Amino acid sequence: MRKLIAAAIAATAVAFGGSAAAQNAPKDPDKYRAGAILAMSGKADWYGKVMSRAIQLAVDEINEAGGIEGIPLEVIIEDHKSGIAKEGVSAMNRLINIYDVKAVLTSFSPPTLAIAPIADEKGILLLNGGGTSAALVGATNMMFHNRSLASDLGLAAVQRAKKEGLGDMAQLVWKNDAGDSVVAAAAPYWEKEGHKVVATEFVELGASNIDTQVAKIRASRPDWVGLWLFSPESGLGIRKLREFGVDVPLIGIEYTGDVKEIAGKYAEGYEYASDYFIPSDDYPWSKRFADAYEARFGEKAEFYAANYYENVYVLAEAIRRARAKGGDYWDGRKLAEAIRENPTFDSVYGGSMTYQDNGVAKKRVAIFKVENGEGKFVEYVTLN
Amino acid sequence: MDLFLQLLANGLINGSHYALLGLGFGLIFSTTRIVHFAYGPIVTFAAYTAWLISGSMGLPLIVGIAGAVLVAALLGTGSYLTLYRALERNGAPPLIPLIASLGLTIVLENLVGVLFGTGVRTLDVDSSVHFLGPVFFTSIHVWQVVSFVVIAVALGAFLRRTRYGRAILAMTDDPEMARVIGIDTLKVSIIVFALGSAISAVPAVMVLLKDGASTHMGFAAVFMGFVAVIVGGVGSLRGAIAGGYLVGLVESLGLWQIPTEWQGSISFVVLFLMIMLRPQGLFSMARK
Repeated sequence: MRKLIAAAIAATAVAFGGSAAAQNAPKDPDKYRAGAILAMSGKADWYGKVMSRAIQLAVDEINEAGGIEGIPLEVIIEDHKSGIAKEGVSAMNRLINIYDVKAVLTSFSPPTLAIAPIADEKGILLLNGGGTSAALVGATNMMFHNRSLASDLGLAAVQRAKKEGLGDMAQLVWKNDAGDSVVAAAAPYWEKEGHKVVATEFVELGASNIDTQVAKIRASRPDWVGLWLFSPESGLGIRKLREFGVDVPLIGIEYTGDVKEIAGKYAEGYEYASDYFIPSDDYPWSKRFADAYEARFGEKAEFYAANYYENVYVLAEAIRRARAKGGDYWDGRKLAEAIRENPTFDSVYGGSMTYQDNGVAKKRVAIFKVENGEGKFVEYVTLN
Repeated sequence: MDLFLQLLANGLINGSHYALLGLGFGLIFSTTRIVHFAYGPIVTFAAYTAWLISGSMGLPLIVGIAGAVLVAALLGTGSYLTLYRALERNGAPPLIPLIASLGLTIVLENLVGVLFGTGVRTLDVDSSVHFLGPVFFTSIHVWQVVSFVVIAVALGAFLRRTRYGRAILAMTDDPEMARVIGIDTLKVSIIVFALGSAISAVPAVMVLLKDGASTHMGFAAVFMGFVAVIVGGVGSLRGAIAGGYLVGLVESLGLWQIPTEWQGSISFVVLFLMIMLRPQGLFSMARK
C-alpha cells in the first residue's frame, strides 16, 4: 500500500512538475511583429521619414545581431497622413487584424489619442516618441512616452523667459491639441508671474500665409514672443516675425532642419526648449547610433530619430523581460507589465531613462540658442 | 487703426496672389469646363523648378522663373493631351475628368517628392522692407502685386486683341457654338492649359521667395484659385480677379476682431455664402 501511495505521489509530482515546467516555458512566436503609425504622407511627412528610418535602422541592427533571443523582429509601418485621427484608427485596425501586432510605435497626438481606446481594449502596447499633447497622459495605461510633452517644453520656455527677465508675452500657436496644451501650461504660468499675455494667435498645420497673425502680434507690442509651433511652421513664424520688424526675443519649442531652412538668417538668436540628442564619446551607444544613421541616410540624427530608435530597443528589452517570465508572454499587456515592473531602460541619449508613473520618461529639457544657423546648448531646465 | 491699415494692405497683397491663381485656374476651367485640380501640384512643380534652377544650380532668378513657367506650361499641356483629351474623345461624363484630375493630383504631388525631395525649399533674395505710415510691406509683397497687374493687363490684351484670344472668349461663352463656327477647340484647349498653367508659375515662385516651397503648397493654391473663380463667377476672368481680392480682403480684415484660429474657415464661409446667395458669382450675370 505504501509503495502504491509513494508511486502515486511520485506520479503526481512528475505530472504537476511537468505541467508547471510546460506552463513556464515561453511560447515563442516565429517572429515578433510590431507596428508603427507615422506621418508617412501629408503636410508633416518629414517626421514620418525620420522616424521610420530610425526604426528600420534599429530593427536591422537587432536582427543582424541574431534577433531578440534568436527570434527576428519586424516592424510594419502604417500612415496616419500627418496626424489624421481616423487614419490612425484605420492603421491600428489593419495592424491588429491583418498583422496581429502586439505593440505599436505611435506618433502625433490626434491619432495617438484615437488609437488609445483600441490599445486598451485589445491589449496593445503603445510606445510614443513624437506626440506631445498633455491629453496623452492617462489616455491609456498601455502607453509609454520617451518624448517630453509639449506642455513641458512650453513650461521650460517660459521659465527661460523668466530667467531673462522678459515682460509681456505674445503667443503664436499651432492650432491643434499640442499647441493648445502649451497655451494651457505657459499662459497661466506667465500671468502668475505678474505679466500679461497680450496676444494669442493661431496657425494652422501646413499654413503658408501667416501675415495676419504676425501683424496682430506686432500690433500688440509684446516684450517677447512664445512660438508654440512645431516644424515647419516655427520656421515660418520666426521668418515672418522678423520680416515684419518684430525684434523682441523669440523663444520656441522646436528647431529642425526644415525650420532652419525656412527661417534662414532670421533664426539667429532664436532660443528654444527641446529634448536634447547629441552624440557623445562618453556614451558610445549615442555615437554608434548617430554614425550609423548618418552613414545610412546621409543626414544627422535628430531627437525624433533618436526617440524612435530608442523605442525599438525599449520594445526589444520589454520582450526579453516578459519572455524571462515564460508562458504566453508575447502579449501587449504582459509587455506593459514588464515595463511598469522595471521602468528603467538604457537610453540612446546616454545612461538610462526611467518611465514615471504617468508613463512619461523622465528626461532633461534643454535650452538652445541659434548661432550661425546651429542650435547651441545653453542650459538644462528643471521643470517646476 | 494701424492694425486695420496693415490688415487692409495684407488683404490687398494676398488678394493679388489669389487673383493670379484664380486667373490661371479660371482660364482653364471657364474655357474647357474641366475642374483641373492638378493645377495645385503644377504650382508646386513650378516652385521646385525655380528652386532647382536658381537655388540649387545658382542661375539668376529670372532664369528660374522662366524655367518654372516653361515646366508649368508643359505639365498643363501634357495633362490635357494625355488625360483629359482622351476622356473628352470617349465622351466621358463630367464627373470622370474630375476624378481623373484628383488622381493626377496625387501622382504629380508624389512625383515632386521623388524628383526634388520632400523637404521645404527656400530661395534667398534680398527682400527690402518698406513702411508707408504705419503699414509695413516687403519688396516681395510689391512683386506680388506688380506681377498680378502686369499679367492681368497682358492677359486682357491677349484675349481682346488676338485671334486666339477671341477664340478663347468665344469658347468660354459657348463651346458648342465655337465649334460650329469653325474654331479649332482642340488648339484653344491646348493654349488655355499652357497659358493657365504658365500663369500659375508666377505666384508659385512668389511663395517660394516669400515663405518657402513645400510639397503640399499646391492644395492651398488650387483651393484659393477655385474659390476665386466660383465667387467671381465661372466664365468671367474679371470675376476671378474680383473673387481673389474679395477672399483676400475678407480673410485678412475678418481677423481684425475675430480670433485667428478661424482663419481657415473664412474662405469656406465666403464660398458657401456666395453659393447660397448668388450662385452665378459676382460677375457672371454682368457678362450676360
